[in-house]
Amino acid sequence: MDDFNPTIIAFVCNWCSYAGADKAGGQKLQYPSNVKLLRVMCSGRVDPQFVMRAFRDGADGVMVLGCHPGDCHYRNGNMKALRRFRLFERMLSQMGIEKGRFKLDWVSAGEAKRFQETATEMTDAVKKLGPLHLRGMVEREVA
Amino acid sequence: MAQKPKVAFYWCASCGGCEETIVDLEEKVLDVAAAVDIIFWPCAMDFKYSDIEAMADGSIAVSFVNGAVRTSEQEHIARLLRKKSGLVVAFGDCAWMGGIPALTNLKSKKEVFNRSYCESPTVVNPEKIVPLENSVYQGVPMLLPKFYETVYKLDDCIDVDYYLPGCPPTVKLVLNAVTAILAGTLPRRKSVLAPDKALCSSCDRNETKPDSMVIKEFKRVHQVVADPKTCFLAQGIVCMGPATRDGCDYPCVKGNMPCTGCFGPVDGADQGARMIAALGGIIDAEEEKGIDRVLSGIPDPAGTFYRYGLAASLLGSKRKEKAQ
Amino acid sequence: MSEKKPNVALFLCKCGANIAEFIDLKEVEARFSGGGKTMFVETQDLLCSPAGKKNMRKALLNNKPDVVVIAACSPKMHEKTFQGVVADAGINMAKMQMANIREQSAWVTADKKEATLKAIALINAALERSVLHDDLHPRTMECLTDLVIIGGGIAGIEAALMAASAGRKVTIVEKEISLGGSVIKTEEVAPAMECAPCLLAPRLSAIRDNKNIRVISNASVTDVLGFLGNFKVKVRRMARYVKDSCIGCEACFEVCPVTMKSGFHLGLGTKKAVSTLFAGSVPAAAAIDKAACLHFIDGSCNACATVCPFQSIDFDDQDEDIEVTAGAVIVATGYGTARASDIPGLGSGKIDNVYSMPEFERIAGSNGPYGGEIRLKNGKPPRSMAVIHCAGSLSDSGVSYCSGICCMTAAKAGELLHKKTPDARIFSVHDRLVFNGPQQHAFYEKQIEEGTHYVKTAQLRSICLAQKDDGIEVSAGDFQPMTVDMVVLSTGITPPEGTDALARILNADLNEAGFFKADHPILRAIGSSIDGVYLAGCCASPCDVATAITRAQAAAGDAIAKLVPGRKIELEVMTSTIDETKCAGCKLCIAVCPYKAITFDAQKKISVINEAICRGCGTCAATCPGDAARAYHFTNQQIMAEIGGLLHG
Repeated sequence: MDDFNPTIIAFVCNWCSYAGADKAGGQKLQYPSNVKLLRVMCSGRVDPQFVMRAFRDGADGVMVLGCHPGDCHYRNGNMKALRRFRLFERMLSQMGIEKGRFKLDWVSAGEAKRFQETATEMTDAVKKLGPLHLRGMVEREVA
Repeated sequence: MAQKPKVAFYWCASCGGCEETIVDLEEKVLDVAAAVDIIFWPCAMDFKYSDIEAMADGSIAVSFVNGAVRTSEQEHIARLLRKKSGLVVAFGDCAWMGGIPALTNLKSKKEVFNRSYCESPTVVNPEKIVPLENSVYQGVPMLLPKFYETVYKLDDCIDVDYYLPGCPPTVKLVLNAVTAILAGTLPRRKSVLAPDKALCSSCDRNETKPDSMVIKEFKRVHQVVADPKTCFLAQGIVCMGPATRDGCDYPCVKGNMPCTGCFGPVDGADQGARMIAALGGIIDAEEEKGIDRVLSGIPDPAGTFYRYGLAASLLGSKRKEKAQ
Repeated sequence: MSEKKPNVALFLCKCGANIAEFIDLKEVEARFSGGGKTMFVETQDLLCSPAGKKNMRKALLNNKPDVVVIAACSPKMHEKTFQGVVADAGINMAKMQMANIREQSAWVTADKKEATLKAIALINAALERSVLHDDLHPRTMECLTDLVIIGGGIAGIEAALMAASAGRKVTIVEKEISLGGSVIKTEEVAPAMECAPCLLAPRLSAIRDNKNIRVISNASVTDVLGFLGNFKVKVRRMARYVKDSCIGCEACFEVCPVTMKSGFHLGLGTKKAVSTLFAGSVPAAAAIDKAACLHFIDGSCNACATVCPFQSIDFDDQDEDIEVTAGAVIVATGYGTARASDIPGLGSGKIDNVYSMPEFERIAGSNGPYGGEIRLKNGKPPRSMAVIHCAGSLSDSGVSYCSGICCMTAAKAGELLHKKTPDARIFSVHDRLVFNGPQQHAFYEKQIEEGTHYVKTAQLRSICLAQKDDGIEVSAGDFQPMTVDMVVLSTGITPPEGTDALARILNADLNEAGFFKADHPILRAIGSSIDGVYLAGCCASPCDVATAITRAQAAAGDAIAKLVPGRKIELEVMTSTIDETKCAGCKLCIAVCPYKAITFDAQKKISVINEAICRGCGTCAATCPGDAARAYHFTNQQIMAEIGGLLHG
């Protein structure tokens, strides 16, 4: 799978992880261009439908990065995200999407290095898993 | 038009329940039969495929097609009926969203065959014989339609004009649809013929739901006898009502069983994803272990939240953009 | 829905060489020119410079696009800048979207080709998203400018005086029958050793004489409804049985037949069933303890009513519910103390003459049970004293943190005894010392000069106190045991009783230690997690008196600056809204809103968002199973389009 270049979509929250990514940028910490960011105000805004749409439209891996527990700008949006996505992950595995293609994690505004590491590790992990093949998403068999 | 409008009924991958709903119309079925000319109904009448092939394109006023599409025969007839019909109505959840058959999209065709024909407890098949598309028996070639890898919903194969939700659609819904068709008062094309609002809006248990509801534990219907007056979710029992369309008069809830979601999602929503987001948000636990403990009360999320609509899910339907 | 596709203008910023060196902007320009993707593409050297902004404005005025996409740095740098330029050219600020190709591509991608492709994806995403944006307009709202202050200790008092001096009407809700809090129960404030009642007295007079300040004492807050600019505070005043006309002349004390333990003296002294909190209190009026008063028990006594020169006794007084409206609420509830009897091994409550620090403060207080005479239980003055530091703190069973002020108070205890009995032997038993600042450190050195023995031990947690014939023996494994007349336990600071309930009423967060959580620990330590609810004094964390007052002044100052008579307050623009036609009233959004901004309309049977409280987190939109809740500027449609743009770029 040496030539497989996965696409990773990361949903990042305005106050913590987006700022952490900006800080990584400011410090010129390189990370794979496979990871493309989408800004939301809070990880608690991230709808499972977004993640599913990302997988459907071509993402091989998806991340939701929020504030550390206790630090959410909106009190506990990150905890809601944690609860929603833990249920969501159980369903993903039933749909045959390998563990490791979806990740929920915490990155604060000051954690430039952690952002770099998270982005890099995710790209490496998904590279090993190969391209995403969705069950029930088979090309048409009969014209 | 002096002639009565021509109407066809067809069943694809179906359990026959949608046919039974027509029977449930009781004496009203006679009114329907009087108003239309049923020219095709494999379940009840002796018309042949060749009869349909012989008809002029568009000459069937309405085709009601129920069942999901899993074989080449079903796809073929669906396409044929589309060609010959003015309107095609996806009748019931299987045609609209894949229905319960679509849950097999969680497995491969190989696994499905293996289970049904080899491993099922009541099956004795030591040679592991499975159906084949092409075989020969006593010199005679035996052909079976192709069995697809995936369960498709009807509009994955053909253009569908209207959708009737339900497993099966209720009598009231069917009568309303037939009346609208005959009177020419159907809404915008591609509409689902049920209110675009969740069940809680008409459920009489909704007022017992507290404003700040949290769930500490999920209970399943076989573990507890539900209080017949209180909202199921408030009792920790999963009820799909909040993520399911209104319009069925909720006989399940009236029978003290929670809604399982057969009227499908409102416009623009992925039913399972919305329910996961809604339930996840109100779980009363703060860290992984506690959350997992609560979630262990839902052992089969896909089956619970996509019971009727996996093929319509964002992750369960074919990439139409690519296939086109 | 409009059939016409909006015209999009795309600006690419070279950012000097920051972007131009790492991304092939010519390739990007080519990708988005023609094919109907954009109305025009313009590349600039530095969009945020005066020249850049001028050029952008000119291009916008000439071409009049509907939407503007700017591929440049992070929106956290220049979103406001470009919103301004765009608005200046007559385009709504919400119709501008930035693609962060500097921080997210140019600066972090080594390979130029990859960087260019990523930039194209980010720009494509911005394009797909921005054409779905709706206009957003700034919103303002009228507000009340009065304040409610919960707690009438020094912090509440100072906050009230500052706000009242700016002309605001202030209501102080105090749980005791008079103001004063903890400072009135102190004799002197270290390290300056200023007389505490003398510090307080003029402040109390100022409160009493200020027409803008109303004190509701013997009361507590039962509910707080509303939001910044518009609070409704429900207060329950308990019956006092003494009218406001009482001046505290104490005539009734003499004739009252009931003597009881005094809470003000922490049980070390007594008072009558009718009594004031202390002489010179504000409010001045006394109060009757109903449970102890014979008039209420068996109707047998009217002595106080008979003797009162002002007819101030009112046996018919009732508990009263009062509603106060305000623009902001300041929490100044003070602190609690770890109880000495809860601390294992230290024998408090079992061994005589072992006292917690607050108890010692009472003993030493001139308004205390002994008139300021530091004395033992047998009435004699102590000739020796041991102060045990960190009593109940820095341990698993007690308080886990250092309160930062108890070393000072421990030193003060020694200083107070030393002043009364210069040759008293004083021991300060500790395992670490915290004296923050020059004056504090000098005070510590003074104690040593005066002869206080600072005894360091590594076994502070296992100190043993034992009653011997000649006094209390204080021992641990690693120092020479000492026998002293009195032991004082320097106890730490905890949140006061009732904090959990108050936090629930206010819907405010508490931190792990149980104190009110600050909005931001560095930038906004005097704000709570709820807009319009401020934190003054110790309620956010342990602190000394000077800091408590500073926090109170800051909180009041912030409130005064924010809520100005005649000026409207600005509301959050990117709020959420619920489609009435689609809402089924399932209430699941109400359960997840962190600000209680959503309520259920029982008439219409739908949920409604109060856009004055909504902070735009969008979690209701994520939760709504009926697709009725919509987050402005972050709608499902917009985000799905952005996802598509990223993946099909």
